[in-house]
Amino acid sequence: MRECYAEAPPRYNGGMSAETWKFAPAYELPQWPFVAPPDLGAGERIRYPVVIAGGGLAGLTLACDLALRGVRAVVLDEDDTVGVKGASSRGICYAQKSLEIFDRLGIYERIRAKGITWSVGRTFSGNDEVYTFNLQDDSASEQPPFINLQQFYLEWFLVDRIRELDASDLRWKSRVTRVENDADAVVVEVETPAGRYALEAEWFIDATGANSRIRDAMGLEVNPSRSTDRWCITDVRFKTPFPTQRWTWVDAPFNEGRAVWQHLMADDVWRLDYQMAEDCDLEAISRPEVAGERLRAQLGADVEFEFVWIGPYQYRDHLLETFRVGRMLFIGDSAHVVSPFGARGGNNGIQDAANLGWKLALVLAGEAGDELLDSYHAERHPAAVENLTVCRRTARFLAPRSRAEHRIRRAVCALAKRHEFARRLANTGRMAQANAYPPSAWAKGGARSVQNVAFDGTTLMRCLAGGTRFLGLAFDADAATLVRLDELAALFPIDFRRVDAAGPLAGQLGAAAGTVVVVRPDAYVAASLADATPEAVAEAMRDALGRDERSRLEAAA
Amino acid sequence: MSVSAKPVMRTDAHMADPDGFYEAWVAAHEGLSDEESNDLDARLVLLLANQVGDAEVLRACIAEAREPGLRRT
Repeated sequence: MRECYAEAPPRYNGGMSAETWKFAPAYELPQWPFVAPPDLGAGERIRYPVVIAGGGLAGLTLACDLALRGVRAVVLDEDDTVGVKGASSRGICYAQKSLEIFDRLGIYERIRAKGITWSVGRTFSGNDEVYTFNLQDDSASEQPPFINLQQFYLEWFLVDRIRELDASDLRWKSRVTRVENDADAVVVEVETPAGRYALEAEWFIDATGANSRIRDAMGLEVNPSRSTDRWCITDVRFKTPFPTQRWTWVDAPFNEGRAVWQHLMADDVWRLDYQMAEDCDLEAISRPEVAGERLRAQLGADVEFEFVWIGPYQYRDHLLETFRVGRMLFIGDSAHVVSPFGARGGNNGIQDAANLGWKLALVLAGEAGDELLDSYHAERHPAAVENLTVCRRTARFLAPRSRAEHRIRRAVCALAKRHEFARRLANTGRMAQANAYPPSAWAKGGARSVQNVAFDGTTLMRCLAGGTRFLGLAFDADAATLVRLDELAALFPIDFRRVDAAGPLAGQLGAAAGTVVVVRPDAYVAASLADATPEAVAEAMRDALGRDERSRLEAAA
Repeated sequence: MSVSAKPVMRTDAHMADPDGFYEAWVAAHEGLSDEESNDLDARLVLLLANQVGDAEVLRACIAEAREPGLRRT
């Protein structure tokens, strides 16, 4: 879409009025130089604990997470900058769980300062409002429900942070050409401007995105499904102040009765996303004068604007059957792709990384057996299935396939204008949340995320930020109990804290005096133990680390 | 005898005034085009579904309504 950045010539609008369609200059994105690695010219292959292919959201989040855990990852990225080529942004909405992760990684303040904080979403049908939600109502976190920001800024901040920590090996202009998944290492062949080399990875992470050639070369099935629904993104910059809310139209009168999305991003850029007819000509609908007229129909003749980007798209989804194959793990779009409704794409790549980071660190430190990495699949695959289901339902609501489906949706919208119950059926996206994980060997009661609650002059994320330790929250524990609990800190990676059973955390966690809540390094609750004994806490830790499983396997061998 | 904690679809006679309901339902369609009638029925389904509430009962009702033996040929 690079041609979009050129100044478009003036064109006549229906022969009635002439309007010049202005384009903003392209974003100037940072570039990082290729530096020849020690592997080039080395006599034999160098072995690394973790190698990540792909420097997008998921890969960079994992590298940054690992850096803070003292694991130096090699990141191989075929480009030397951030973002998709050109100035478009793929992801724009970052959910609370992602923001909490970024708080722990140390880039939240930059994101907050640059991005647009929002919590209110409004849904319209025709000229009427049918549904409003305020995600702040359910929030107890230090981070807001959502911040909108162009994806390349986020990747940029992550790269800056990784470089500042100086604890990862970012290798630009380095393309993975071949991967061999052996029993004791993954052999990775890399192509660079200075020649080819091969390295060995104890653990290899594919974060190369939806079109992963690494995944495809292994013959792994993702069961893709392509929608016939078509949309056209029009990113525009204008000074007219709009409310910082997510506005969606199910059937906008100014878009021939089809859906429209309106979202603010940083730098006064608005993303206007228009649903198009399924049989439309993608080239025709993305011409500046056609896009401009759509915009005029929505905003009127007086609003001054310039285009930032115009891009038509179709969405698709896919799901990899297993997220771990031997020493290889798949994160982000390489493992799962969903339709864009509800911000469940990038946010789940970030959560994949946060789920995997601490597990890799503990396995590499010998605190847990490598079976713990199976829990990455056991938790993130069901999360992906849930996201896929949720997004498919939204897509179906937004693109009815028959007259009957249109009728059903009309009934929902008509009743939603008058009745609370019907508003619950109007589905313009169920916004990304931290998925709860099903019961597993590692979390017998399943695991759910805890928000970043402030308490006792600190926050949950600050407590989890140092190293890779679990957090044992001992509610109203007496001194003697704390002494006995602290003895566990020598046996397991866990630190305990006495917390007030009348405080904000107790409410969030449903904890009473005597309860110990075991919080994992990714801020998921591994166990909540009423009237907890140190023995019960030790058992919960053995489960969470898979140590029982390990001794069982050792006994069998 | 089956003991179920969850409610199941009722197929016994449960309506207080069957003839009155039929009359009111038919009357609601008077003077409407087919399109408007269809829209009305769709809204009616939604309103009634909310009276029922229980997801399992609703799924059973949908399945029964779709029963091939009940479809026009």
